[in-house]
Amino acid sequence: MKIEISDYNGTKVFGISGDIDMNSSPELRRELLDLVVRKVPVLLVDFKGVSYIDSSGIATFVEGLKGMMPYGGRLKFFGIPQGIREIFSFSKLDRVFEIYPSIEDAFNR
Amino acid sequence: MGLRTHYGDREILKSISVTIPRGKTTVILGGSGCGKSTFLKHIIGLLKPTSGSILIDGKDITGMKEAELNEVRKRMGVLFQGAALLNSMTLADNVALPIREHTGLNESTIQIMVRMKLDLVGLSGFEGFYPSQLSGGMKKRAGLARAMALDPEFLFFDEPSAGLDPVTAAGLDELILRLRNVFRMTIVVVTHELPSVFMIADYVIMLDAGEVIFSGSLDDLRASGNPRIQMFLERKPEQESYSPDDYFRIIAGE
Repeated sequence: MKIEISDYNGTKVFGISGDIDMNSSPELRRELLDLVVRKVPVLLVDFKGVSYIDSSGIATFVEGLKGMMPYGGRLKFFGIPQGIREIFSFSKLDRVFEIYPSIEDAFNR
Repeated sequence: MGLRTHYGDREILKSISVTIPRGKTTVILGGSGCGKSTFLKHIIGLLKPTSGSILIDGKDITGMKEAELNEVRKRMGVLFQGAALLNSMTLADNVALPIREHTGLNESTIQIMVRMKLDLVGLSGFEGFYPSQLSGGMKKRAGLARAMALDPEFLFFDEPSAGLDPVTAAGLDELILRLRNVFRMTIVVVTHELPSVFMIADYVIMLDAGEVIFSGSLDDLRASGNPRIQMFLERKPEQESYSPDDYFRIIAGE
């Protein structure tokens, strides 16, 4: 897994590629919680390059969202491949996370 | 390939050669004592065969040392007949055990994973319960949550419907189907429950007296002209294998 942090019109973007699994989730958690601690108001997560996510990856995002909620932070996903979308849907988390088709949609809403 | 095994002098598996397809649900079918549970125990590396090989991704697990075999086992989840939960631990700790044992994940991540797994099997809110406080069906589902703790590529079920009422058994079958569809898991189910077979199987391997008498699709199974298969599918009892005279000699000890 690779994480690239960039900026889109002043909003932080997490570009993730590769597998988010039990080996890589701890790194994702470190990067994510680092931003949560700094109370980043909106975080856009680009899933286009994600080939696989397991339950540890999903749990890590749940933890991130849980940390953002008290200060009104928003965690927005976009570019989720169909297979990964099904996993979110199966876990009923497609109704918990904000999921958008593109970075523009995620940024504007 | 060419799998043979014995319990003492008795040959249980007689040179079995089959392929289990990836990403599908394979049902290993057969009557009581045909060797299907023994076959499963070999696939998951719990038993060593007398001869033959078991290839996973081209690697023979029968000759592997314990450490190497443990790496393979991490990719497997197994739901045993009795669920095999640890009675001294809560359900949450039972499910968390393999995650704590085999990963370096943070405890807060593990707790979320545990709640996700228990919810997946309809046991949300039972985290603090002990196995003795659960019904048979709930124990099975808790066992499944633990089997899925490490998001295995291969999920094995030994008689998942045994001891369950038809509604609970159908619910478990439904879950098996969803797991295959969403996670593309390779699922192997040992059973003799025909309703389950027709609901979940993509591929069927049928054993009879330690031999493979069929492997193929459900349609091919139904169309098979093999009398043993037809007897099984039509639930016909076996014919007496010996005459009254033979029977007398057996019980008279002659």
